[in-house]
Amino acid sequence: MADFEEWLTWTFSPSISAIVVTLLVSLLLPILLHSYLYRQSGAKELATFVLIGPSGAGKTSLLTLFANGATTTTHTSQVPQTAQCQLPLTTRASEDRYRSENDDSARTQPQFHVLDTPGHGKLRHHALSALTDTTKPLKGIVYVVDSAELSSTAGLTEAAEYLHEILLVLQKRHTQGKTAKGPQGVAVLIAANKQDVFTSLPAGIVKTKLEEEMAKVRLTKSKGLLDSGVGSEDDAGADEESNWLGEYGARTFTFAQMEEHGIEVSVVGGNVLPDETGKTVTDDWWAWVGDNL
Amino acid sequence: MLEAFEILTTSGIVVWRKHYANPPLSPTLINSLITDVFIEERQSHAPTTYRKDKYVLKWTTAKDAGLVFVAIYQSLVSLSWVDQLLAAVKALYVKHYATSNNSIKLPQLNAREFDTAFEALVRRLDSGSTARRLSLPDSDGASELTPPSSSASVADDEPPPSLPVPQFKRPAAPSPRLASALQDDTGNDATPVPTPDASRPGTPSSRLVTAKLSRRAKQRANAAFNNSGPASSGDESPARAAKTAKKNVKAKRQWDADGMAMEGDDRVLDYSAAPGDADGEAQDLDVEDVDNAKMGSRTGKGQFVLKDLDDELDAILASSKEPTSAPAQTAVDENSGLLGTASTKITGLFRNFVGGKKLTKADLQGPLQQMRQHLIGKNIAPAAADRLCSSVETDLLQQTTASFTSIDATIRTSMAKALTRILTPTSSLDLLRSITSCISGPQARPYVISIVGVNGVGKSTNLSKIAYFLLQNRFRVLVVAADTFRSGAVEQLRVHVRNLTSLSKREDVGYIELFEQGYGKDAATVARDAVTFASANATTEQRFDVVLIDTAGRRHNDTRLMSSLTKFSQLANPDKVFMVGEALVGTDSVAQARNFAKEFVDTKGKLRNNGVGLDGFIVSKCDTVGDMVGTLVSMVHATGIPVVFLGVGQHYGDLRGLNVAWAVDKLMK
Repeated sequence: MADFEEWLTWTFSPSISAIVVTLLVSLLLPILLHSYLYRQSGAKELATFVLIGPSGAGKTSLLTLFANGATTTTHTSQVPQTAQCQLPLTTRASEDRYRSENDDSARTQPQFHVLDTPGHGKLRHHALSALTDTTKPLKGIVYVVDSAELSSTAGLTEAAEYLHEILLVLQKRHTQGKTAKGPQGVAVLIAANKQDVFTSLPAGIVKTKLEEEMAKVRLTKSKGLLDSGVGSEDDAGADEESNWLGEYGARTFTFAQMEEHGIEVSVVGGNVLPDETGKTVTDDWWAWVGDNL
Repeated sequence: MLEAFEILTTSGIVVWRKHYANPPLSPTLINSLITDVFIEERQSHAPTTYRKDKYVLKWTTAKDAGLVFVAIYQSLVSLSWVDQLLAAVKALYVKHYATSNNSIKLPQLNAREFDTAFEALVRRLDSGSTARRLSLPDSDGASELTPPSSSASVADDEPPPSLPVPQFKRPAAPSPRLASALQDDTGNDATPVPTPDASRPGTPSSRLVTAKLSRRAKQRANAAFNNSGPASSGDESPARAAKTAKKNVKAKRQWDADGMAMEGDDRVLDYSAAPGDADGEAQDLDVEDVDNAKMGSRTGKGQFVLKDLDDELDAILASSKEPTSAPAQTAVDENSGLLGTASTKITGLFRNFVGGKKLTKADLQGPLQQMRQHLIGKNIAPAAADRLCSSVETDLLQQTTASFTSIDATIRTSMAKALTRILTPTSSLDLLRSITSCISGPQARPYVISIVGVNGVGKSTNLSKIAYFLLQNRFRVLVVAADTFRSGAVEQLRVHVRNLTSLSKREDVGYIELFEQGYGKDAATVARDAVTFASANATTEQRFDVVLIDTAGRRHNDTRLMSSLTKFSQLANPDKVFMVGEALVGTDSVAQARNFAKEFVDTKGKLRNNGVGLDGFIVSKCDTVGDMVGTLVSMVHATGIPVVFLGVGQHYGDLRGLNVAWAVDKLMK
């Protein structure tokens, strides 16, 4: 106890050492505090785009194209994969919207993350968890479909069911947001891939076919059996209306109905793999990414 | 012969590949390997081997680097060294090129550098394993043909194969050795002139000749044919051919002097030699081959392989040869050293709570055993529990636990993932949609659903629940009493139909009717008649949309009763066959599911529904078991067929679809 009193006396004494220590503490503390807080806020999280779609649509190929500028051969994915990509010089990011064409001052092309998810039926929970994950700033979803596959009934149904599921998750994310502000809207690009294939459907027809099919899916889903999870606490507020995608009760489904929930859907065609002339058509997809950054 | 070798990440990106076939093999081979083995985890007979079409795929994985190594070869040939090759390539690759799995950069590789290493590895292994492959191990095969006593100049002016071409490539020309062997067969009257067979590349005649040889000799000839190096086929000038042929004949003559069966050989002038003779000849050639190869390999190696790479490959091969002994040794060391270094144990315990611990087999063993007991307590069959545990173990082995996560928690999350994966169907079943698409359009016909199962599991009850569900959706339903065996079965259905009729009238929804032909008739015929009756007026307003067929309950191990299911499914040809299993049954559910699934064979002898048999399970009496819903997992584990409906109560409305998250939650409680 005596030690403590002695020490206290020293701190209040007008000795030079006590003054120096006090000065050091009072000057350094704010600096340390600032640097600590500054580091806490961290580097700005890069925007994330998620690649979703049925198996074999070309998601991983698109990922390699976005990340490396060239495609590599791919197989069925088993795990998700994130890659860091940079917008090519030819594409203008939305933040460069007001920049003059003649402005030649240095500009850095923005970077972003692309998350590739497996499309196999058993592994779709990866994609769904990526959508509900709030830690990552989700900017957009690229729903890749094989536009040649859509001409068959089975392929169309699979693509529409998966898209229905994804859009419903996004809609719930918007309507059931806990905060008043709600999460930011998400842009959805339906990338009609494999336009180079002879039997592929053009983007416009892909859009109408998907819309028609999704109206049917929506109808049968609403009439179908309840699942066994019903009545559990986290699903308590779910009624029929919240499980209905788009405008409630509407007979036809259009992607425009999703805008109410901050989901902008656009359908753009292209091909990841080079066609017979050795060309990949992805400029429009890049432009979409640039618009949504 | 090896067809292809690929290194790919688990995220599906091919890091490096080599295809010997031209054009490259279709990617569907590896895709189906991934979906069948890695994702759906269908059991194969041998681990790390997968057969598809006429190919055999062998694989190995590097879990922490997230890599899969796949080798493909035709199933006609058996390559014993492929396992070794996989292990060696994995070791080489992981050591030098692999980066951590979670890096933000996509994997990239200096392909050319790895090409060289791979070629060297293949060459090394291939020559080292099978004696018959020794006959022509390398691209400098021609130099080996010259006896060592002859001038070394022949070997020297061989162009060093700077671009190593795989020896598996099918050469255009038969090897000189083959040619000389053939020549020996034709007679040893020492004609130094090369036969046309020897110099003409790849003529069918040489094939014809080989076809006449004995089986062994033919095998060897084929091997040689497939394996002859490019150098030997590349500079096959007539002069060279003559030279080698001449030298070989010389060597042959020497052998003749030492040998004993000289007269016998002399007599054999035609190709239709007695098998014994040809065999003897082949054997002698074999001995010679090995000798030559030994000498040749001493000079041949190192010319084309970089020196350090060579040494490294040696080391890798040596280590891969004793993979079992080394880890065992270290494990023993660890155990004995535990007492001495108590501190490591304490840090281990600490890490168990804080996280960041690298999981070993010993770490996982205890918690996994607990987890297995827990699963069995939830009514999961032991076989299924074992499979889940082993899948968790392979998932977690050599992984590091996340910070502030204990081993138990890590295992729980991993197990939840494994359960989700096993229960989630590959393609979801939307019954209403498939019915609608079936009954509309130009080829409209009623949709036929049939229900099978063991006695007393609730087939008729679930059938009427489905009928109620369909009635709610305004379908016209025909219920067929195909249980012509048990007394009261038809009456039971009639009561259900009467109730449902009054229900549907009250709510003004669909229409239901019973089709019955009494007792004692053949169930298959009744079902067929019912389908014909329902399709009779398919286009009119009075059509039936759905035909629901109830069948007699049968014990799954009674072959006589079970075999009648095959005839039933062929005659009635149902769109969907559901099997009802009760949640109360324990381990037996596995056998039930398997036996029922294998009976549904179509007329071509193939299992219906793409070789699966059934379309789905209905698990009844789920309300009676609380959270012990392990039967779901057992049945899906046994067959890979998804659970589509759950019976959760006594009323018509108590039918539910399966919510995977709900089931997993109950099982992990």
